Amino acid sequence: MTVLAIARASLTRLVRDRTALFFLVVLPVLVIVLVGATVRGFSTWKVGVVDEGAGAAGQRLVAALDRSPDLAVDHYPTVRAMSTAIARGELNTGVVLPARMDEAERGGSRTSVGLVFEQANSSMQAAATAVAAVVRAEGVRVQAAQFATAQAGGTFATNLSQAARLEGRLPRAQVRTVAAQASSSILPEGFSYAAPTELVLFVFLSAVAGGAATVETRRLGIYERIVAAPVRPRDVIAGETLNYLVIALGQSLLIVAVGALAFGVSWGDPIAAALLLVCWSLVGAGAGMLAGTLFKTPEQASGIGPVVGITLGMLGGCMWPLAMVSPVMRQVGHATPQAWAVDAWTALLARGGTLATVLPDLAVLAGFAAVFLLLATHRLRHVLAG
Amino acid sequence: MGDDVLRCDRLRRTFGARVAVDDVSFRLAPGEVYGLLGPNGAGKTTTIKMVCGLLDPDGGTVTIGGRPARDDLSVRRMVGYVPQDVALYPDLTATENLAFLGRLYHLRGRELAARIDEALELTDLASRGGDRVDSFSGGMKRRLNIAAGLLHHPALLVLDEPTVGVDPQSRHAILERVDSFGRTGMSVLYTTHYMEEAERVCDRVGIIDHGRLIAEGTRRELVAELGQKDRIELAADGDLETLAAACRRTGGVERASVADGTVQLVAADGRRTLPAVIEAAEHAGVPVRSVDVTEPDLEAVFLHLTGTALRE
Ligand SMILES: Nc1ncnc2c1ncn2[C@@H]1O[C@H](COP(=O)(O)OP(=O)(O)OP(=O)(O)O)[C@@H](O)[C@H]1O
Ligand SMILES: [Mg+2]
Repeated sequence: MTVLAIARASLTRLVRDRTALFFLVVLPVLVIVLVGATVRGFSTWKVGVVDEGAGAAGQRLVAALDRSPDLAVDHYPTVRAMSTAIARGELNTGVVLPARMDEAERGGSRTSVGLVFEQANSSMQAAATAVAAVVRAEGVRVQAAQFATAQAGGTFATNLSQAARLEGRLPRAQVRTVAAQASSSILPEGFSYAAPTELVLFVFLSAVAGGAATVETRRLGIYERIVAAPVRPRDVIAGETLNYLVIALGQSLLIVAVGALAFGVSWGDPIAAALLLVCWSLVGAGAGMLAGTLFKTPEQASGIGPVVGITLGMLGGCMWPLAMVSPVMRQVGHATPQAWAVDAWTALLARGGTLATVLPDLAVLAGFAAVFLLLATHRLRHVLAG
Repeated sequence: MGDDVLRCDRLRRTFGARVAVDDVSFRLAPGEVYGLLGPNGAGKTTTIKMVCGLLDPDGGTVTIGGRPARDDLSVRRMVGYVPQDVALYPDLTATENLAFLGRLYHLRGRELAARIDEALELTDLASRGGDRVDSFSGGMKRRLNIAAGLLHHPALLVLDEPTVGVDPQSRHAILERVDSFGRTGMSVLYTTHYMEEAERVCDRVGIIDHGRLIAEGTRRELVAELGQKDRIELAADGDLETLAAACRRTGGVERASVADGTVQLVAADGRRTLPAVIEAAEHAGVPVRSVDVTEPDLEAVFLHLTGTALRE
């Protein structure tokens, strides 16, 4: 009861606090909409192609890319030349058609089409997504043709023998999966990378900035008033934790909803995603409460809080993937909870991860949350003791 | 004595090397208004925080309603704490603030609403319940601060300098209320450094200085301690400290101190001492503009006991 009263008062204040609401609602939605609009808004992406001897299959794919209204294809002699063009911003993405793609396709074996783009660049991510979609569609067509030829049987001797080999070696269900594939990126493409990293960034950032409310409660002497009432310190701590948790979860759900409804972001395995949201919200709650007990003035919290949030976000892979940074920086990054949360989202969204895949990340996040909450509890007890 | 609402026994509290409260004992009977009168830094707030369970004493005990206050949450229900600084959320309305604090005392629903109305009524804020506290004047905030301490009908209301920074009208209203609380049977522990307030609302006064309770009693008892003495107030143009020093050297003057732009004296016999005082003032080059000889009051008692004025 007193726990709820304490959480309720803090939440009522939050609703009236324009600065807090800006960080909590306006800014994340604004950024999502901006990034989302940029990613979707470009009319044509410039795609470079390097053909390493893919034969007819490669030509078919280039034709398909050419047919796509979103893509303009340019040929490059080497991967190196194409990479330079990408680095200069002349291209949005590059495609590498592997040698003997044709044979591989006809042989029904796997073949990989390489995609070259900068993962930190959201428009490149989007271009890569568009190219990947064309490659996949083409793959399905090739596969269907292979299958039809195999099924129809008998016009071409070679085809027949191929079909025979296919049927003999592979069960039907597996034949479907044999196709040209985009080389699987370790990251979710396009906007699906931006949305979860923003969630990780903003939930933490606004929790720490939101510590200002606790600093104010402290400075106004309201905790003294609470302690003078028949309220146990642990109820005060529970009430404040609940308050921060509700804020973090609320913001998470807002970002999930905006991402999903407005931009079709898929958030992956629902149970794993939900647990990840809860873990991350607990991390945010702990960090926010800790900030509330450490900062001296509300201005410090709302000024330094975002700086801390952004710095940890950068280190932890919220701004650019840690896959691109040096191993040392990657290790340093994993000292932040952000890195583990981003890893977990990446596993869920790009690799179709499940609860089992992200369990280690969740455990680490739970550990961070526990440490933050324990420290905050300790500090708050100290505050309450006068 | 068994039914004392509050008993403080030999309370002591230090902050590092500084002794904030030293061996303070006093008690409050039901319906009694007790004033802790002392200058800034005397230890009033520290004493009150120990009474309300916000600070642990280094020594001594607090007993409320016959029960030791320490570690017993139900004892806190008996106390209404009104902190020295307004402790309310500026961005919530008066009613929301009271509802929040009332819930901490397990009030809810209709009872809570009724108590809020009553507390607002008692502090003349009934029409402002729906307004945010940051739209209130200083005096209104102070009154709401008091209202918050009344919600749960405490047996003991603890007011820490409730009139600081308040205009005379609001101050008057607050003092009226404190007066009436006493008459309803609520005990009030009231700290102030305003002698007039202590004289006006308190049944008994404890004079506290440098953490020690140096005298205690009704106004009459305290003044009687002075014996047949007079209080002289001198107004003058010039350096008042020089004047006070000159007075101290004058025969018959027991204490002299500067306060409120005047020089305050305690003298065994005012009328006889006065001519010498005026002459000493002329010599010191700070001629006296006007003189006021009165009965001794708590101010004079404080001056007598400590050698310094209550307010600088
Ligand atoms: N938290 C603290 N840490 C260190 N010293 C303190 C603390 N609280 C009070 N003191 C010291 O204890 C002494 C008594 O302070 P207290 O606040 O009780 O005085 P007070 O009578 O309430 O004064 P005022 O009229 O200014 O409110 C002062 O010297 C003060 O500096
Ligand atoms: Mg004080």
